[in-house]
Amino acid sequence: MFDLEALILSLKLAIWTLVLILPFGIWVAHNLRRMGKRRSWIEALLALPLVLPPTVLGYYLLVGLGGKSFFGIPLVFSFTGILIASLIVNLPFAIQPIQRAFESIQPEILEAAQVSGLSHWQIFRLIELPLAWRGITSAAVLTFAHTLGEFGVILMVGGAIPGETKTVSIAIYDKVQSFDTAGAGLLSLILLGTSLVAIALSYGIFERPRSPSKRWEG
Amino acid sequence: MLKVKISQTTPNPLQLNIECTPGELHALVGPSGSGKTTALRTIAGLNNAHTGKIEYDGQLWFEAKEISGVSTSLSPAERSCGFLFQQYALFPHLTALENVCIPLYNSLPEVAKRKKLAQQWLERMGIGELANRMPNQLSGGQQQRTALARALARTPKILLLDEPFSAIDAPTRQSLYKTLAELRKDFDIPILLVTHDLREADLLADRITVIDQGVGLQTAPPQVLFERPRNSRVAELVGINNKFEGVFTAGKLTWNGSPQIFNVVDKGKIPPNTPVAWVIPAEGLSLHSEASHSSIKAAVEDISALGQVAVIQLRTIDGGHVITWEASAAEVKRLGLEPGKVTHLEMDGDKIHIMPLRPINDPRRFSN
Repeated sequence: MFDLEALILSLKLAIWTLVLILPFGIWVAHNLRRMGKRRSWIEALLALPLVLPPTVLGYYLLVGLGGKSFFGIPLVFSFTGILIASLIVNLPFAIQPIQRAFESIQPEILEAAQVSGLSHWQIFRLIELPLAWRGITSAAVLTFAHTLGEFGVILMVGGAIPGETKTVSIAIYDKVQSFDTAGAGLLSLILLGTSLVAIALSYGIFERPRSPSKRWEG
Repeated sequence: MLKVKISQTTPNPLQLNIECTPGELHALVGPSGSGKTTALRTIAGLNNAHTGKIEYDGQLWFEAKEISGVSTSLSPAERSCGFLFQQYALFPHLTALENVCIPLYNSLPEVAKRKKLAQQWLERMGIGELANRMPNQLSGGQQQRTALARALARTPKILLLDEPFSAIDAPTRQSLYKTLAELRKDFDIPILLVTHDLREADLLADRITVIDQGVGLQTAPPQVLFERPRNSRVAELVGINNKFEGVFTAGKLTWNGSPQIFNVVDKGKIPPNTPVAWVIPAEGLSLHSEASHSSIKAAVEDISALGQVAVIQLRTIDGGHVITWEASAAEVKRLGLEPGKVTHLEMDGDKIHIMPLRPINDPRRFSN
């Protein structure tokens, strides 16, 4: 049986994660440059979810958030709970590509913007953001794909409540456990397709050759 | 008028005191790493010096005192400097036209007006037809013209040029020199040019400040600088070939290792028996086939012909000093010069310029 509910939940989780994490990721990545000595510590902390076993992270989240609520919504075994977990797990995927994109802008370009009379906000909006666009797209695609496939943390924090916390990955696991290989295969195929498109997007395979900018008028 | 008096010891040492009047092109010349670019960036507000003051027409741009730290520092945007970077620093995601629109962003909120003015600027730089090209579709010269249009579009109070021609091929550079010379007629603003190329500075600048290890050694019009360098280091930096050492006492200059004594005008600035370096410009040298009472015997060591000009290297018989002399090919032929030939060299004492071997502790040293 095809589990549409799980697919819709996964998409909802991925979209919410994206909407919340991207502005934060841009803000952190942009400010990391000016953080001086504290920078390495913050970078290490933000990269921790990359190496930490998902079950370990899930365990701490379960212990930390268990019994707590946010405006009456419980933070474990709920959509809000898996959203918080997803945001934490995705921090390195969202921040690192954007950070690299900001860092690859030559300092002279920013100085030229300064001597052209632009304010810090204008430099960010008119120069840095468009130049870091590729990194931001890459971060968005990676975060989206990674959220669709996340398993360990979601299972630890959310369990497998249909319509609430049972995402596609967990549904695949459930189907295999109940010998529904056809259903598991179909969902796996969807995730495989999504991942392929995501990787293609982040490697710029669908990008057209550069043409004059249309993003900014005069 | 722009007045700059800045000093710092770290990260790059800097001790500079210059003024630049409206319409003047003032070149900062020195070897790589001498602090010229740091000075220019400090004036633009991209760096801050530890101590000093930068003023433009009575408006304080920067002031910092040793004890209290920075007290005033306007942002680069507030200072309104046009800045031309060595590597152009065009915004790579914007067309040439959009690049020139950027400095007009705050003064002209209407997009159409902004574009019209930017287009006029590009046309003035001779690249109006390239308005819709991306920077990576422009040649080095075209990129620098776009950058010049961008620097001037804001009608800046001063123009700062940081080695703007060094990454450009020679023919394009010549045409950019011409453009700059034409712009100077219309813009009555101070222009500071940083370059390591003395010939460029000589060609373009009204005055040159020679910088070495962050210290402004001498400020003078090019001709004065080449004829009368303030000290031995300046002579070396401005590439004077015929530089020698001796001792100066009341109008008499001896030449180390040679019996020759020259009569030199005594301006009363150098104490008696001071070891000095001395230089003689090309026009103070002449070669003759016949000896005279004041001539020095010298043998031709080498002749390098460079087109119509020949560089002749001579060695004096008494003392073995090497002298470089430039002459036309015709002159070489007339004198029958060839390696090994002994000839008679006249050195005009009036053209000799002497300077202390070690800088004299003179408070005016940084203030000329």
